[in-house]
Amino acid sequence: QGQAQTGPGVTSLFSPAVTSEQIEHLHRRFKQLSQDQLTIRKENFDSIPDLEFNPIRGKIVHAFFDKRNLRQESDGLADEINFEDFLTIMSYFRPIEMNMDEEQLDRFRKEKLKFLFHMYDSDHDGKITLQEYRNVVEELLSGNPHLEKESARSIADGAMMEAASICVGQMGPDQVYEGITFEDFLKMWQGIDIETKMHVRFLNVDTIAHCY
Amino acid sequence: LVPLLAALVAGAAEARATSDGQLPGAAAMGTGTPPSPSGTAFEETRLHVFTLDYPHVQIPFEITLWILLASLAKIGFHLYHKLPSIVPESCLLILVGLLLGGIIFGAEEKSPPVMNSDVFFLYLLPPIVLDAGYFMPTRLFFENFGTIFWYAVVGTLWNAIGIGISLYGICQISAFGLTDITLLQNLLFGSLISAVDPVAVLAVFENIHVNEQLYILVFGESLLNDAITVVLYNLFKSFCQMRTIKVIDIFAGIANFFIVGIGGVLIGILLGFVAAFTTRFTHKIRVIEPLFVFLYSYLSYITAEMFHLSGIMAITACAMTMNKYVEENVSQKSYTTIKYFMKMLSSVSETLIFIFMGVSTVGKNHEWNWAFVSFTLLFCLIWRALGVFVLTQIINVFRTIPLTFKDQFIIAYGGLRGAICFSLVFLLPPAVFPRKKLFITAVIVVIFFTVFIQGITIRPLVEFLDVKRSNKKQPAVSEEIYNRFFDHVKTGIEDVCGHWGHNFWRDKFKKFDNKYLRRLLIRENQPKSSIVSLYKKLEIKHAIEMAESGMISKVPSSVSLSEYHEGKIKPLSPTEMENMREILTKNLYQIRHRTMSYNRHSLAADANEKQAKEILIRRRHSLRESLRKTNSLSRESTVLAFCCHCC
Repeated sequence: QGQAQTGPGVTSLFSPAVTSEQIEHLHRRFKQLSQDQLTIRKENFDSIPDLEFNPIRGKIVHAFFDKRNLRQESDGLADEINFEDFLTIMSYFRPIEMNMDEEQLDRFRKEKLKFLFHMYDSDHDGKITLQEYRNVVEELLSGNPHLEKESARSIADGAMMEAASICVGQMGPDQVYEGITFEDFLKMWQGIDIETKMHVRFLNVDTIAHCY
Repeated sequence: LVPLLAALVAGAAEARATSDGQLPGAAAMGTGTPPSPSGTAFEETRLHVFTLDYPHVQIPFEITLWILLASLAKIGFHLYHKLPSIVPESCLLILVGLLLGGIIFGAEEKSPPVMNSDVFFLYLLPPIVLDAGYFMPTRLFFENFGTIFWYAVVGTLWNAIGIGISLYGICQISAFGLTDITLLQNLLFGSLISAVDPVAVLAVFENIHVNEQLYILVFGESLLNDAITVVLYNLFKSFCQMRTIKVIDIFAGIANFFIVGIGGVLIGILLGFVAAFTTRFTHKIRVIEPLFVFLYSYLSYITAEMFHLSGIMAITACAMTMNKYVEENVSQKSYTTIKYFMKMLSSVSETLIFIFMGVSTVGKNHEWNWAFVSFTLLFCLIWRALGVFVLTQIINVFRTIPLTFKDQFIIAYGGLRGAICFSLVFLLPPAVFPRKKLFITAVIVVIFFTVFIQGITIRPLVEFLDVKRSNKKQPAVSEEIYNRFFDHVKTGIEDVCGHWGHNFWRDKFKKFDNKYLRRLLIRENQPKSSIVSLYKKLEIKHAIEMAESGMISKVPSSVSLSEYHEGKIKPLSPTEMENMREILTKNLYQIRHRTMSYNRHSLAADANEKQAKEILIRRRHSLRESLRKTNSLSRESTVLAFCCHCC
C-alpha cells in the first residue's frame, strides 16, 4: 500500500491526536472510491450503494467539490479532488478534544457551521435565499411520493418566516428579508451544540471499511 | 389542613375498630348495628330509619380517603409557591406520611399498616414506569444506550458486591455485635440497596431541569437496573436458603440474568406491536382507544412478573414500541386522554408511594445498630462514587461525547434510593433473616438520606457547578428541518467513509420500519416526514391558540400598527396578491382538512374546533380586509415582504 502521501499542510489541520494509522485508513477508502486513481470525480461517488437512498445526496457530493470547503481562494466547483482535499473535507467532522479552550472551540464550531451553510447556499452568494431554502426542503421531503410540491413550499416559507423573526426581529415596513446570512445562520444554531454532534467516528482505528 | 386530615383518618381508624366488634358507645353513631339474622321471633328488630354500614364499603372507602389525602397534600404544598423549588415534593410527602404514621401509631398503639409489597409492585409502580417509558425521548435513549446499559448492569453489580463484601467485613468485627449476619445475607442486602430507584430519580430530577443527556443517563440507568436487581435479589435469596452452592448455580444465575432482561424486553415489544395493531382497527370506537394502551402495557408488566422476568423493562419496552404507532392511529382526543390519564395515574401513584413510605417508617419493626446503619450509608455513597468514576473512565473511550467530571458528579449524586429497595427489604423472609429489622432500619436511613439530603441539595449543587440545563424552547419548523438535514449529512459522510455508525443502524431500522412495520401497524399509512407532521402540528396549535385568545393574535414579532401607514406599503400588483393568498389558502386548506377528520366520531365537534374553523375562515376575510386597511397581522406583513422579494 505504501505510505499515504500527504503534504505537511494537511497534518497541521489535525491536532496531534490523529495518528498516521487513521490517515492510512482514510487513504484506503480513498483508493477504493477512486479505483486506484490519484483523484476522485463526481462519478466515483455513484459507486457507494447506500448513498443512493440519501435524499440530499446531490448536496453532499457537491460539498466535496465545493472550492469554498476546500479552502481554496477561488470560487465555484472543482472537477476533481485529490487525497489532500478529501482529508480537508473529512476534517470538518473530527470530534472535539477535551483540551480545547474557548477560542478554539468557537473557531471549530464556526468551521463546522460554515460547512453546513455552504451546503444550503448553492449559488455561492453568501446568503440563503427563499428559493434555495425551498430547494433544500423539497430535497429533504423528496422521499415522500405523496407529498405535493406545494406543501414543501409552504413549509419552507414558514421556516423562513421563523428565521426572519429570530434574526431580524421587528421588521420595519420597508424591510425585505433578503436571505439568511452566515451571521444569522450562526444565531439560529445557537441553542444546539453542533460541535459535539457533528463528527464521525472514522477517526477511530478499529472501524471496518465497508467492502462492496 | 393537617388536623382535618388527621381527624378523618382517626375517624376511619375508629370506625374500623367499631366494626371489629368493640363497640364504644354505639349510640353515638346513630342506630348502629344492622339487623342480625340470628334474632329470634321475640326479638324482632324494628325498621331502621338510619343505618351506618361501614364494613360494606370499608376497602374502597379507605383507598379513596388515602388518595384524596395524597392529592390534598399536593395542593397544600403548591399553595406556598416557593416550597417546591427548595424542597422536592417527595420529601414533603414522606413528612406527611411520617406525621400520619405517628398519629395512627399514637391512636392505636400498634404499628400502622405497612405498605404491602404486593400493592406496591402490582399497582403503584407500573403507572409510574409506564408514564416514564411512554414519554421517553427514544432517540436520545438509543444514542446513549451503551452507556446506560453499562452503568445499569456493571454499575449495579459493582455496587452490590462492593457493599455486600465491605459490610461483611464490618460484621466480622465482634465489637459491633453483628457476627451472626452471614456473607450471603450481606450480599443480598447489598444487592437490594444498590438499585437506583426510578421513582425517586423522577421526583427529584423533575424540578432541576438538567440537560437531557444527563437526565437520560441517570433515569435510563434506574430503569434498566431492574433486570439485574431482580436477578441478584432472587439469586442471593435462594442461595441463602440452599444448603450448598455449586458452581452450576452461579452459571444458572448468569443465564437467568439474560433471560430476565431479554425476556422482559421481548414481552414488552411483542405486546407493544399487538397494541399498535389493535389500534389500527379502532377508528369506529374511538372512546375506548386509550383503554387499549393502558391494558396492553399493564398486561406486559404482569405477564413479565408472572414469569419472574423484569416487569419494569417489559412495560418500558412496550410503551416505547407502542408510542410511535399508536400516536398515528388514535384520534387527537384519544391521544390527549392517554397523555393526561397517564400523568394523573403516575402522579397519584408517586404521591401514595411516598406517603406510605412515611407511614410505614413509624412503628415497631426497627432495630437500631449504630455501626451497621452508619457503615451502610457510608459504603453506599463511597461505592457509588467510585463506581461511577471508574466506569466512566472506561466508557469514555467508547463514547463520542465524553462525560466530564461535572456529569460524573451529578450521575453519582443522582443515584437515589427509594421505594423499590424499601419494598424488597420488607419481602425478606424473616425465617432466613433473623436480623430483618436491622436491615429495614438501615434501608430506611439510606432512603431518607438520599431523598432528603441529596434531594434537597442537588438543586443548589447543580447551580453551583453550572451544569448545563435543558433549554425548553418552542419546537420550530426550521429547527426540525436543520436536524433532518444534518442527520442526512452525517449519514452521507458515514457512507462515504464506509463507517457503520449509529446513523447507519438507525437508517437501516427506519427503512425496515417503513417497509414492513408501518404498513402493518398503521391504518392510514402515508410515509410522513417529521418535518411535515411538525409543521401541521404547529399550524393547528396556532389556530387553536387564536381561537382561545379570542381572535387576538399574539404572534411574537408583530409589527406595531402605528408603524404601518398606508403610504409606506409597497403597492402590490394583483399577481403578488394572488400568490400570497394562494400560499395562505393552501396552508389554511390543510388545516381545515385535518380538523374535519376529527369529526368522524359520534362525539359532537368540540366548541374549540368549531371556533378554530370559524377563525380560519375569518382570517381569510380579515386578510382581504387588511390589504385595504392598515390592520394587519405580522405573518401577513412578512409574507408581503417575501412576495415582494420573490415575485
